[in-house]
Amino acid sequence: MTRDNTKSSRIASVFNYTFLFPVSAAVIYAVLFFITPDATLLALAGSGKILLNMVTPLVLIFVVMLLINLFVKPARVAKFLGTDSGIRGTILAAVAGIISTGPIYAWYPLLKDLKEKGAGNYTISVFLYNRAVKPFLLPVMIEYFGWLYVMALIVLTFSASILVGCAMAYVQNR
Amino acid sequence: MKIAVSADGATLDAQVALRLSTAKYFLIVDIESGEFEAVPSSINRHQRGAGVQTIATVISRGADVIITGYCGPGIVDQLKENGIEMLTGIKGTVKDTLTHYRTAAADQGRALSRENGRNAITHAIKNSARQFASLLPVLLGVVLLIGLFNTFVPNAFLVSVFSGNTVLDSLWGTCFGSVLAGNPMNSYIIGGELLKNGISLFAVTAFIVSWVTVGLVQLPAEMTALGKKFALLRNGLCFVMAIPVAILTVLIVNIAGRWIS
Repeated sequence: MTRDNTKSSRIASVFNYTFLFPVSAAVIYAVLFFITPDATLLALAGSGKILLNMVTPLVLIFVVMLLINLFVKPARVAKFLGTDSGIRGTILAAVAGIISTGPIYAWYPLLKDLKEKGAGNYTISVFLYNRAVKPFLLPVMIEYFGWLYVMALIVLTFSASILVGCAMAYVQNR
Repeated sequence: MKIAVSADGATLDAQVALRLSTAKYFLIVDIESGEFEAVPSSINRHQRGAGVQTIATVISRGADVIITGYCGPGIVDQLKENGIEMLTGIKGTVKDTLTHYRTAAADQGRALSRENGRNAITHAIKNSARQFASLLPVLLGVVLLIGLFNTFVPNAFLVSVFSGNTVLDSLWGTCFGSVLAGNPMNSYIIGGELLKNGISLFAVTAFIVSWVTVGLVQLPAEMTALGKKFALLRNGLCFVMAIPVAILTVLIVNIAGRWIS
């Protein structure tokens, strides 16, 4: 297969995967419109309202995303993930999880490699748990749940990551 | 400073690999001491995330420069965004290449550094636009389905599933969050709309927490990479942990909310 063919098939695959879901939703709307047009239009109006409410958080998301891309180099997290499971190691693993981007399966080879080099269950578990906190998505979370909720959830997520990490380390060392 | 050279073999006499994606090894060379480490490459150019894997492999070994024959523009962009210098179009043995590199290192390094600085903002904007655009189609699909859900699913059904019992609601939320996957933003939107439909914040929080921390969809990949025992135990612990995290989050919000007001 030539490079152009490979590239175009990859683009086509990504395009199909990305748009399959919204297109499927649109097809469901089209079918329902013929069965019950009033309720379908009501559903569409409801979706439109949700989208309108999301304009401000989405703009904020883009701004935070831009700042992160400008000043944070996510792939550098590899340097944060060592074998240290003390306070410093915990914070670094948590920060690495928070700033890591991209699909989780892209990180598995690195985590496997780190594990082989001595990184323990604790560090890897803390890293994986803290991927739940994504700074650039916080505007949407705050819009729906408020500041207080988001702060409480972040603190508890970090605390839970330590508990999960300790349990994983206990099993590893048993 | 360390340099990663893509190579066809594990020694300095090996040829520089024609393509980064087909290299058999990365030779990580300490340019000052001359010591090197041969790292077998596991990169598959057809696999998603190959760029991140390349960067991660190189950075985890402490290298700041990659030398190779040819590399796709996508990976080059990702490397530049992560501050890795990339030298392409190189032929010959690794040993000869390193000799040439040492001679030209200072000038070349400064030139690349200036170029990286000029392009940093452009790269950040392009990268952000790409990331942002990739979020939108699925987000649109989720919002469309929520519109249907709000209109066609009767509240009586939701009340029958989520009875108002704190632990049971949290458990249901965790179950739903564990089987679904994707960008966390979608869990916030779905959770927010469920909340408006009268579902308890306990259930919604458990749903959001387990969406990212428990991954039934990714479980086979996690088992392959980190071991069956690790993956099953970690996901099991995260499943259990989602319930107390949800309950504590809501209790803190309620108590702090009353205290603030």
